[in-house]
Amino acid sequence: MADLWQDAMDHAVNAARSAGEVVQEALQEDRTVMTKSSSVDLVTQTDLKVEKLIIQSVKEKFPTHRFIGEESVAAGEACVLTDSPTWIIDPIDGTTNFVHAFPFVAVSIGFAVNKQMEFGVVYSCLEDKMYTARRGKGAFCNGEPLQVSGQEDIQQAIIATEFGSNRDPEVVEKIFSSLRSILCIPVHGVRGAGTAAINMCLVASGCVEAYYEIGIHVWDVAAGSLMVSEAGGVLMDVEGGAVDLMSRRIVAANSKAVAQRVVAEIDSFSPCRDDAPLPL
Amino acid sequence: MCDQWKEEFEYAVQVARAAGAVIRKAGECEIKVQTKSCAVDLVTQTDDRVEKIIIGSLKEQFGEGTHCFIGEESVSKGKPCVFTDKPTWIIDPVDGTTNFVHGFPFVAVSIAFAVNKKLEFGVVYSCIEDKMYKARKGHGAFCDDEQIQVSDVKDINKSIIISEHGTDRSPEKVSKIFSTMQKILRIPVHGLRGSGTAATNMCLVACGASEAFFEIGIHCWDIAAGVVIVREAGGILLDVDGGEFDLMSRRMVSANNKTIADRIIKEIEIFEVVRDDAEI
Repeated sequence: MADLWQDAMDHAVNAARSAGEVVQEALQEDRTVMTKSSSVDLVTQTDLKVEKLIIQSVKEKFPTHRFIGEESVAAGEACVLTDSPTWIIDPIDGTTNFVHAFPFVAVSIGFAVNKQMEFGVVYSCLEDKMYTARRGKGAFCNGEPLQVSGQEDIQQAIIATEFGSNRDPEVVEKIFSSLRSILCIPVHGVRGAGTAAINMCLVASGCVEAYYEIGIHVWDVAAGSLMVSEAGGVLMDVEGGAVDLMSRRIVAANSKAVAQRVVAEIDSFSPCRDDAPLPL
Repeated sequence: MCDQWKEEFEYAVQVARAAGAVIRKAGECEIKVQTKSCAVDLVTQTDDRVEKIIIGSLKEQFGEGTHCFIGEESVSKGKPCVFTDKPTWIIDPVDGTTNFVHGFPFVAVSIAFAVNKKLEFGVVYSCIEDKMYKARKGHGAFCDDEQIQVSDVKDINKSIIISEHGTDRSPEKVSKIFSTMQKILRIPVHGLRGSGTAATNMCLVACGASEAFFEIGIHCWDIAAGVVIVREAGGILLDVDGGEFDLMSRRMVSANNKTIADRIIKEIEIFEVVRDDAEI
């Protein structure tokens, strides 16, 4: 049976790879840095350029499709997920890493129809690792199938998380409190690649048992969420309920047991949702 | 320029590469984990095996008795960690054992060589990434064939800082580690990162991806090679109290320049650790 979205997925992989080349080239030059919501929420011309390139190339081939792109939303476009086929794009996940040439930088392209993820592509361009997942057909890295770790004992786990870009003292306090609780379970260790998309691929690959974060955006995790579920993992809200990609909160884990154990230690808070109406 | 230890240096690179291949192969099979000082201080048969291979290989090449050896696994089995003026190899066979156990992609073989207690060269083979970092005193630092250099960032607000939680989970130490990290994050810096291996972290400073790496609790074998690499890449080493760096003290700040180092040192909450060369 022909896969209705195979063309779109192939296009996403090509677009991600081309975008990765743009990123690699840009790394050879000076990267002028601008800021968005705070002095540590960075964006560069390359983020903007790559997002335009991806959206343009998709519009040419799929003129009726819709878009949620990080930089478009930052420029004022609404962040609304309808039933229409929608591309959810983070042109450079790990902009801080990119600015520093720290080795984890990803292009993340998710595709949803009827608000359900159909495929996800994460291209870790400095490692040249192309992660792909198609609903019902598994997750892969450079063609090799991915599977989450079989480790369900939290005391034998590595957990991934990030500090994010919010430096508000109360938020930082909660982030550190959760981190400390988890570290002292004890777990084997806590890690972070500096990009949500790659952190989710690390869960899908079995390198870490779980990743959690409060403060990410839908474009950071849309593709990765399918990667994790297609590799046999689970997704959950930080308070244990169903995951909500617009909520800016996520737990991705190899198993319900590990997810629930992590959730038990998270000092949660609720950032402004991605789909909240814009202030008038 | 002194070429006195060139043969030893080139041999170390070969040995590190061969050791890395053993580690990669071992990573394909199930890994049995034991623990050392506590439940999260891990060691495997691969650590022991690789250390024996490296030491055996070096003894065969350079004669038993003329050179001394400080190896992580030999010391953990009771061999005194004594640093003399004699030519001394300082070896961590698998830096990042926790990563190795989990398949997290940063695992390094670290080999350093000192004479008259002065470090002459260092080799860090990041074997999953297949990156050979090396430096010989007075000859620059390299990653594979490319010369590397520390970052030129002087503004702490534009820095990425690396540190680790280590393996000590005692509440007072964890409190100090967390307090330090929180203060640094809130300077604010661009971000906090950690690869899970001190040797790799130092190479990330040396190649400019991060401005500084500091830690209390590391061992001389984790950092000896990295010290040469950072220095030869233009960086500096200091103690966490701002004084002179002491390889056996288990404390270290490595940075791209003194401005960044001094700013980090201001925030570090120091705690006591037993020196590597303390009497057993």
